[in-house]
Amino acid sequence: MTDWTITTLGGAIAGRQVSPVEVTRECLERIARLDAKIRSFITVDAEGALATARELEAELAAGLSRGPFHGVPLAYKDLCHVRGLPTSCGTATREYFSAEHECTAVNRLREAGAVTLGKLNMTELALGPFGDNAHHGDVQNPWCPGHVAGGSSSGSAAAVAAGFALGALGSDTGGSIRLPAACCGVVGLKPTYGRVSRAGVMPLSWSLDHIGPLTRTVADAALLLGIIAGHDPRDATSSRRGVPYYERLLDTPVEGLRVGLPANYFFDGLDAAVDAAVRAAARILEGLGAEIVSVRVPDPRPVVDVSNVIARAESAAVHARIARERPHELQPAVRARLEVGFHLTAHDYLQALRLRTRYARAFVAEVFAEVDALLAPVIPEPAPALDAVKAGTVDEVVMRMGRFSRLTRPFNGLGLPALSVPCGFSADGRPLALQVVGRPFDEATVLRLGHAYERATDWITRRPALA
Amino acid sequence: MLSFRPHTRMSEPGRRERVDVADLAAAIERLAADLALAEEPSGFTVVLESDPDMREQRD
Repeated sequence: MTDWTITTLGGAIAGRQVSPVEVTRECLERIARLDAKIRSFITVDAEGALATARELEAELAAGLSRGPFHGVPLAYKDLCHVRGLPTSCGTATREYFSAEHECTAVNRLREAGAVTLGKLNMTELALGPFGDNAHHGDVQNPWCPGHVAGGSSSGSAAAVAAGFALGALGSDTGGSIRLPAACCGVVGLKPTYGRVSRAGVMPLSWSLDHIGPLTRTVADAALLLGIIAGHDPRDATSSRRGVPYYERLLDTPVEGLRVGLPANYFFDGLDAAVDAAVRAAARILEGLGAEIVSVRVPDPRPVVDVSNVIARAESAAVHARIARERPHELQPAVRARLEVGFHLTAHDYLQALRLRTRYARAFVAEVFAEVDALLAPVIPEPAPALDAVKAGTVDEVVMRMGRFSRLTRPFNGLGLPALSVPCGFSADGRPLALQVVGRPFDEATVLRLGHAYERATDWITRRPALA
Repeated sequence: MLSFRPHTRMSEPGRRERVDVADLAAAIERLAADLALAEEPSGFTVVLESDPDMREQRD
């Protein structure tokens, strides 16, 4: 199971070399055997998964294939409303969130033939970058137990890294797909704002929320994005732009692409191993024909301030009920972050929304006049120890959260597509990652660069040593 | 018959929350000082949807 990717498994199922029931059973057996240590799942739907796999197997026997996801086992962050399963959103409440209709992204994958294994652990209310959870257990990093898996889509990244699922969906409001992908050595894509519908997903901050894939390879992320992207009448912010066949564009050479390495902000105060790995990745892309240039980007700090105001105000509005009626149920750092939103004014919030427009316009115009994409780190240091990030006062924990997500947060405010790709390991074996950022709706170039880099290295062939 | 739960406020903001709110509000006030009158939130979507591909201009 740990050697398959969505691409190879989909081909093997279509070629009748392996059956949907076999691979589903193998995933479920692996989860049952190993997830007590990792804590990546909140709900495992063994019965439902096997029933779906049997139906899909019968379809194949009748000569019907739904395409590359036919019979492929996936799992979803526990803030997606999935038919028949509870959605805790990482809280102590079993059914914290529900929606009239199933999450659109999940439903599109279901229609494409994916098997739903279950719902994945996450930071409570998606409010935190480390993946610790007092109610459902801290998600452990499969590469280095005792260290964070990253958050908030902690279970999504850990489950893919551990070989429990071939792919997963996560959500990203300030880095929540890319941070866990980086910590766990898998691929994670935050698409452009509006590229993927958020209908049927618990909102945290509707101006900054994005849904996207976590997979073992960039090619798998491209395939998955191709299914979930596109307009959805249930999400007014979803774009009507056409959806390219991303997977068909992956092998277009990167020769001639201008790729920027930011001269300011993104390399300040980095761990030395992270700094070296990202610069080495740039040299590899240069060797493949991309032109690497140093660029000074508009200062991202105002965008981070603006995003913080928007995120705090909107999340406090969305989660006012639990914060006011049952605050004792929330973890202290989560409660503290919600609390701030109750005291910001309408004036602050509206000015932040207006400022966001100005910064997005300036960033896109200035940066993408010079380059086709940016390269940056995702995490400022390799996955820290769980005990270390939870230690100290609530103030210290909240400050740590802000520092850890400072390299991803700007691109939520700007709405730009951003991909996390594994780019090595620290001396003690913790994954490192590269962030590729593109112009609006140009996921194709971002994926193309990530794929070219991935093919030129062997990082994705390594697997964490689980029993 | 409708009934409503009694309204219970969260606790008063603590020192750190007060500092956070004040810092964020001050940052917004400073950044918005020269904001154009025409700038509005929906402009964000327009920026994303209308980004021209600059490659041709650069060539």
